[in-house]
Amino acid sequence: MRKTGVVLVTLLAFLFLAKPCLAQFIDNASENNQSLAVEKVEEATVSAEIVLTPTPSPRPDITEKTLEVVEPLKRLLDEQVLGTVWPFNPIKYAIRGAVDASVPPNTIVLLLLLPGIAALIAAARHLVGIRGFGIFLPAALSVVFVATGPIVGIGLFLVIVIVSTGARIVLRRTKIKFQYLPRMSFILLLVVLGILSVLFAAPLIKQSSLANVSIFPVLILVLLAEDFSRVQVGKSAKVAVNLATETLILSLVSYIFLTLESVQKFVLLQPEMYILLVAATDLLMGKYVGLRLMELWRFRKLISSG
Amino acid sequence: MARTSDILGLNARSQLYSYRYNKPPGKKKAASKLATKRALMAYNIPIPQTYVKFVKPLKINKFDWTSLPSSFALKPNKGLGGEGIIVVKKRSKSEDGWITTNRRKVTIEDLKLHVLDILEGAFSIRNVPDVAYIEEFVGRHKAFRKYAFRGTPDIRVIVFNKVPVIAMMRLPTKQSGGRANLHQGAIAVGIDIATGITTKAFWRGKYIKYKPETKRKLNGIKIPKWTKILETAVNCSIATELDYLGADIVLHPEKGPMVLELNHQPGLSIQLANAAGLRKRLARVEDLRVKDAEHGVKIAKVLFAGRFADRVKAEEGIKILKPVERVKIYAPGKKTIVINARIDTGALRSSIDRGLAKELGLLKEDNILWKRRYAYRSAHGRQPRPVIVLIFRLAGRKIKTSASVANRSKLATPLLIGRNDLDGFLVNPVESE
Repeated sequence: MRKTGVVLVTLLAFLFLAKPCLAQFIDNASENNQSLAVEKVEEATVSAEIVLTPTPSPRPDITEKTLEVVEPLKRLLDEQVLGTVWPFNPIKYAIRGAVDASVPPNTIVLLLLLPGIAALIAAARHLVGIRGFGIFLPAALSVVFVATGPIVGIGLFLVIVIVSTGARIVLRRTKIKFQYLPRMSFILLLVVLGILSVLFAAPLIKQSSLANVSIFPVLILVLLAEDFSRVQVGKSAKVAVNLATETLILSLVSYIFLTLESVQKFVLLQPEMYILLVAATDLLMGKYVGLRLMELWRFRKLISSG
Repeated sequence: MARTSDILGLNARSQLYSYRYNKPPGKKKAASKLATKRALMAYNIPIPQTYVKFVKPLKINKFDWTSLPSSFALKPNKGLGGEGIIVVKKRSKSEDGWITTNRRKVTIEDLKLHVLDILEGAFSIRNVPDVAYIEEFVGRHKAFRKYAFRGTPDIRVIVFNKVPVIAMMRLPTKQSGGRANLHQGAIAVGIDIATGITTKAFWRGKYIKYKPETKRKLNGIKIPKWTKILETAVNCSIATELDYLGADIVLHPEKGPMVLELNHQPGLSIQLANAAGLRKRLARVEDLRVKDAEHGVKIAKVLFAGRFADRVKAEEGIKILKPVERVKIYAPGKKTIVINARIDTGALRSSIDRGLAKELGLLKEDNILWKRRYAYRSAHGRQPRPVIVLIFRLAGRKIKTSASVANRSKLATPLLIGRNDLDGFLVNPVESE
């Protein structure tokens, strides 16, 4: 318990300390992108004015249908040269058809990435041994991170963890006896108050990514709170914190997977290959009966004692 | 000691054993403690007596709480990992409540609220509404009084294909709050299947020799009624038709072994407690034909007996054997005989001549472990052989083992001793025969 606590704190400290560099890095990256865009646009010399004066946005968010998200994806689609529809390109043509009928390409990319994340989380469980809260929660949490940015996402997640754990401890210490459902609803109330207080603190923190916190990521986080306190009531606090930490690690890894540009590009341009790859990984994993990585650690005394 | 391929992991447990050998009706019985009780009762397997069960909240006020005895256990029907259990040992001095095994006082009001919590599903998987029940308190057997802190230790036996393959005792500690749950800090103590004597103790990530904060050795504890415990576990498997299960058994001071609960996906830490891999043991009994509990226990005692080789080595040094040794064979109800035996490190299992075995009465039905299981590949080609229980004395050590029966009438020695029984010995090949 103490160990996981330390890990959590250092993780947090790291994220906050690393924030300026990260921001700088993102700035650099976006500058590069812009200069690239400028070069491209200068070659085209048609709609230069529009691109040269982009609206200042803190961070491109692939969950939103903004121009700076959609345009590069569309350009990627346009640049790819395709052969005949069958046998290798049916989904590619379907994607193009849908995008031409103004379905946002970012939605398609995210949707395609979802089974990839699920496979990733399954691998984390079956090959490595990280459990987390099932498969849906880490996946949903990673999408939340994409939407709110990892720092705000983790911040909100920790607020939820701390509030629900604190509420549980206080209820137990003061011997206030609630029945189960009213108790859950009370904890939920406290969680919402916690999240609200973070939002109210926005003028003090001046965190620009707080600006685009929309209701859906917050809703998912609140749902997570219910799951979290449910685990807590049933199990010990140690198990709950361990599971939360593992969930956090899983969703951070999934977040990185979601935001990797090369992955997005591969999914969009080679959807058939990607789907087959994910399916094959799932099938192979389902047949694996060997030890998990963390089990090697768990049974180390058994293995080395000879 | 164990190779990684001998260890049972979560993936293999689910896919190869738990899902494959356990059918839904049996799993349903194991998931609900009351259903377990019903199933076991039908087979006359002893269980703690149920005083009352609460299905609807209405019953809580209708029930006469003062009629409860001075000791009992309140449990959720589908609780997980020992959560939500209140065990009381005696009435409080003020007569308005009870004292739990943790020396906490609970009143009738506390119990009522706890029952409500249970009914709401606070301790069940996914919080589905649950049933609460109150049952007889099983005290500690005097053999464990010095080792267990406050609570009652329980014995977990994993049964596969009607053979008890591995067992451990869970000792409550101060850190576990008197509860026999490994996650909460109970000690896992490995048990030798053949004798019921504890071998090793694993606690909080390492092997320990003594009970924490004392000088009481945890190995060498003899568990009373061991054979009965093993047979009870196997009978549970027969009663619920769960071919792979973990039975949690407590030893009632007067009434003997009682089954607390069954688990169709028993935990894997039992391997650490015994310093032995489970996967290899499971593979060894996978397609045996086991008749009944008695037969299964007999097989287990021969196959999984601890060799105590380390201890023997330390006490008397390593023995050196000649390629042919004089061996004393014990036969039930007959005089022991001394014969020549070939020490053969090329063979795994020992092998005895059919004529000799028959003469000694070793081919009786109750001495045969199994028949025609293997078509052995040996110097004679492939042939099916019965496997029997054999007890012999080799270089001063008495060894109980399994041996296959073969026609060795044309060979110089009627007995061959294989690697299974040569742990702790060295063979000197140049010594004259």
